[in-house]
Amino acid sequence: MEKVKNPIGRALIFLALVLLVVYSIMPFAWSLITSLKYPVEANNPTPKLWGFKANLDNYADLWLYMKGSEFVPYAIGILVIMVAIVAFAILSTKFEWMSKPKTNMIAVAGLLLVFLLLPKFASMSKFYGYFINSVIVTVGTLVISISIGCVGGYALARYNKIWGVIILIAALGFRALPRMAFVLPYYYIGQFTHLYDTRILLIITMVAINQPFTIWMLRSFFMDIPKEIEEAAMIDGAGRLESFFKVIIPIAWPGIITTSLFTLLLAYNEFLMPKILTQTNWTLPVAIASYTSGEDAAYRAIAAAASVSITIPIIIVIIFFQKYLVKGLAFGAVKG
Amino acid sequence: MNDKTFFTFVSPSVIIMVLLMVIPLITAIVLGFNFVTYSNLEEPQFVGLSNYIDMLTDPGFWSSFSFTFIYIVTVVPCSLLLGFGIAMLLDQVRVFRGFFIATALIPHIITPVVGALMYRTMFDRSGLYWYLLRAVFDYDFVMTTTSVRFLIITQGIWQVTPFAMITLFAGLQTLPKQLMEAATVDGATAVQKLWHIILPHLKSLFLFITLMGIMDAYRVLDQVLVMTKQNPLFNADTLMYYNYRVATMFGRLGKANAMSILTVLGIFVVLIPFLRVTYKQQMESR
Repeated sequence: MEKVKNPIGRALIFLALVLLVVYSIMPFAWSLITSLKYPVEANNPTPKLWGFKANLDNYADLWLYMKGSEFVPYAIGILVIMVAIVAFAILSTKFEWMSKPKTNMIAVAGLLLVFLLLPKFASMSKFYGYFINSVIVTVGTLVISISIGCVGGYALARYNKIWGVIILIAALGFRALPRMAFVLPYYYIGQFTHLYDTRILLIITMVAINQPFTIWMLRSFFMDIPKEIEEAAMIDGAGRLESFFKVIIPIAWPGIITTSLFTLLLAYNEFLMPKILTQTNWTLPVAIASYTSGEDAAYRAIAAAASVSITIPIIIVIIFFQKYLVKGLAFGAVKG
Repeated sequence: MNDKTFFTFVSPSVIIMVLLMVIPLITAIVLGFNFVTYSNLEEPQFVGLSNYIDMLTDPGFWSSFSFTFIYIVTVVPCSLLLGFGIAMLLDQVRVFRGFFIATALIPHIITPVVGALMYRTMFDRSGLYWYLLRAVFDYDFVMTTTSVRFLIITQGIWQVTPFAMITLFAGLQTLPKQLMEAATVDGATAVQKLWHIILPHLKSLFLFITLMGIMDAYRVLDQVLVMTKQNPLFNADTLMYYNYRVATMFGRLGKANAMSILTVLGIFVVLIPFLRVTYKQQMESR
């Protein structure tokens, strides 16, 4: 649509958008401020936006099994890791070898190793254990879901008999059903197979819950790739599987990243399934829900610290992968 | 692609969906006819339809049903209108567009439990909105049965609007340029263009967002749990949250499964037309 040219009109548009930004991030910003306050300040009936004594004690209480003053080296360590991640992301646009999937996977694996080994060197709190659970469940779900989803989505994109449509429609139907209808039976099944309260049960059930979405999305990305490409490879003597891995996957990589992001978010944000299917092996959303009941004012500052901690990975995802996120969210718009 | 390769390729997905979606659904149906609590998981007692009768005569079920209805008819249209408005505004700017989109996305992809908690903290005692309401309007915001519902609904709008915004914004990018230019040459006003070109162009997207919105709003649970502080006295249960409470707080697993089946039947009202449209599209495009 053509642009509004009137300067007052344009100023109003910008003002409206700035208000939208404030409205969108205000709860997060407020939690961030609250998390830096002492509990007394956090419960002050005249809340302050500035002028309070900022400190990281709430984060120390949340993450470590020790006093706030010992938190400093870890805070520095976390900052170093975050700066390293940002530097890596910026450099990866400059050097080609750094943006290769292989390098990125090694970087992610290295980071995971650091997370897993950290409790060996520092006494971490229970919350860190929940964080590790979240990481394991998310990564497990992501890897399994995307690997079987790629193969299935590719087959559905290249097959045009009625069976393909039936599978797709059934998957769409399953996706729309309320989670409760699956979760309670999972609980029941979990009790009998003695998988209740394990991360394995969480991973396989989340893979199943996300599978319809994964194959639909991946299928639409594979459909954008012309058939002729792998046909050429197959004429050259490559098998169907070989041409898929060697020719199709490298082209479909952006689509796979987009789908991976949404699987990651679904697994990381899921509350109901870990809540019902675990007793001690909580994930982060379940852990934070325990701060929400009751009126205890002492919880306010630490709950804010927990909220911010849980949100930071998501903010990192938005910053680095905004393009893919927008593409994925708008994929209904493009495909109709 | 021949049948054999196709079935080999899709078998992992299909097997996992059959094992972990079809079988659980059957289990839910079976359990719905039984009296099951946490103490007799191993030997459920067959009771026929009594769980269903129990559920349909339960006032808690009907009150959660009516609140879910209210939630859907407020959140879905509001988020659609707001999202459309913001998409039109975003279409007007070039500078900072990425920044506006990125920040607007935050409410949508943040963990729902955390988003709800952060939102509620704003209205809690010594929260920012609580303070502003008191300072500007001299209104003391306290949690009551009405205000909790208000919080749940406004938080729902806050969370869902970015999805409508992004989808409609993407739709606006595909507007036929020549048509718009022709309309300008013919002297069409902005309202006429909106009514005769933009809205018809976005019609299918509006339908898509509405259907997705209804299905998502129908199963809202996490937010209610946070907003009500897990306190049933606030009487703001949605269907899914009431279902969750029947399963966890009352411990009536059989009854909860019966309720799940009822809600599954309920979503069919929206789902069947949606599936039919998709089926037709897929059959045509293959």
